[in-house]
Amino acid sequence: MISVSMKNVCKAFGSNQVLQGVSFETHNGEIFGMLGPSGAGKTTIINILTKQESADSGECHVEVGSNQIGLMLENDGLFDRLSCLDNLIVFEDIYKIPRSRTLEALEKVGLGDAAKTVVNQLSKGMRQRLVLARAVLHKPKILFLDEPTSALDPMTARGIHKLIRELREGGSTIFLTTHNMEEATHLCDRVVMLHKGRIVEQGCPKEICERYNAKKESFDLESVFVQLTGGGLE
Amino acid sequence: MNNVKAIFKKQAKGILRNPESLIQFLIFPLVAFAMTAILNFDEYYFTEEMLASMPNMVTMMATAFAGMALIPMVASIIAEDIEKKSLRFLRMAGMKPAPYLLGVGGVVLVVSMVTSVIFGFISDFSGADFWIFAGGIMSGVAASIVLGATIGILSKGQQSSTALSMPIAMVLGFGPMMAQFNDTVARILHPFYTQQLNVVADYLAGNSTAPLWNSFAIMWGNVIVLGIIFALVYAKKGLKG
Repeated sequence: MISVSMKNVCKAFGSNQVLQGVSFETHNGEIFGMLGPSGAGKTTIINILTKQESADSGECHVEVGSNQIGLMLENDGLFDRLSCLDNLIVFEDIYKIPRSRTLEALEKVGLGDAAKTVVNQLSKGMRQRLVLARAVLHKPKILFLDEPTSALDPMTARGIHKLIRELREGGSTIFLTTHNMEEATHLCDRVVMLHKGRIVEQGCPKEICERYNAKKESFDLESVFVQLTGGGLE
Repeated sequence: MNNVKAIFKKQAKGILRNPESLIQFLIFPLVAFAMTAILNFDEYYFTEEMLASMPNMVTMMATAFAGMALIPMVASIIAEDIEKKSLRFLRMAGMKPAPYLLGVGGVVLVVSMVTSVIFGFISDFSGADFWIFAGGIMSGVAASIVLGATIGILSKGQQSSTALSMPIAMVLGFGPMMAQFNDTVARILHPFYTQQLNVVADYLAGNSTAPLWNSFAIMWGNVIVLGIIFALVYAKKGLKG
């Protein structure tokens, strides 16, 4: 069943055409990756799907309402003067969920011991984990993650990958953007490759790799991307 | 109601953990207390006539508090949530603008009540006069909260909220001080709530015969007009994070 879809969506900021006829769909319970270099239009797609921006043309569909969506963006929007727990309590009150679930979310992201730590004293990795805890607090049906592991150390990134997989197993649809092709290869069920606002390829990472790297033994989405666009990811 | 409570709790914790903003609630009554004490200090020589011609420090600082401190404060709280994109996540969670603004304004109103009562205590007013004076300050506080919220919505970030709110706050805060020495300024500022707060204090001190209800009517008229302006700005600009 389709949970998120876009059909022929275009978006421009002034003279800068960010999205040019983008079409794709995600299915319930899958990890869907949106790959592309910085400036490819990945965040704009999330913003349109979460109604932060409107598309100039085309159709968008998200199966659930905004209160069943979890969101993790580059701008984390945390309340810097409050503790980790207090940050989550704001949303606990809004979603009307019990305290036990808030504490459980903190434990899941490994911040149980840092519950009383003020947010402006957290490292980048801890902030990312807190944002993830906030995003999953209400057990959303669809989770949008914008570069969830960017600038994180490998151990923290691995922990977040584990959590993302657990969420998928719990029935959530995960929509993530990344420019880390290795991450996408190992984590995503299906991916879309975005370049200069256009989709250049989409499908299962394994199938894409086999299609373009037929002679190689290992999967390598990055070389596929370079073949398709003539450019790198950074 | 749940959402108002969520924002109220968040903002109350934010204010309590931010000494800079708490100081703003205390510094005005403290300065008023210190200035009054200095004027009454025996070693200094002030004749009765000199003291009579001086403005009342408590009412002057109360006016400054209602007009000057709260407008930039409320504007800055909203602008901070817009700038840091916190508002975006609140909206995604289903937070509507009205509960958000009620929560933010509610905290400022409650803390200002404490400040108003402190002003009441350090003034010479007692009995009904005490509560009339505190009520006057609260009317000014209400107007300032609405005005601050309007500026917060118009701002793109904290810097722009300060740039927008400070000139307005200075006119509303310092204007009534100047009006104590200049009748023309007093006439110009007559329709503004901070000036009326001074008129209330003058009445209670026996220096004015203007009817009290008139000042309160003007102050609440200000609240209503500012509320309409707020609604218009909100309808046009919304509360986007």
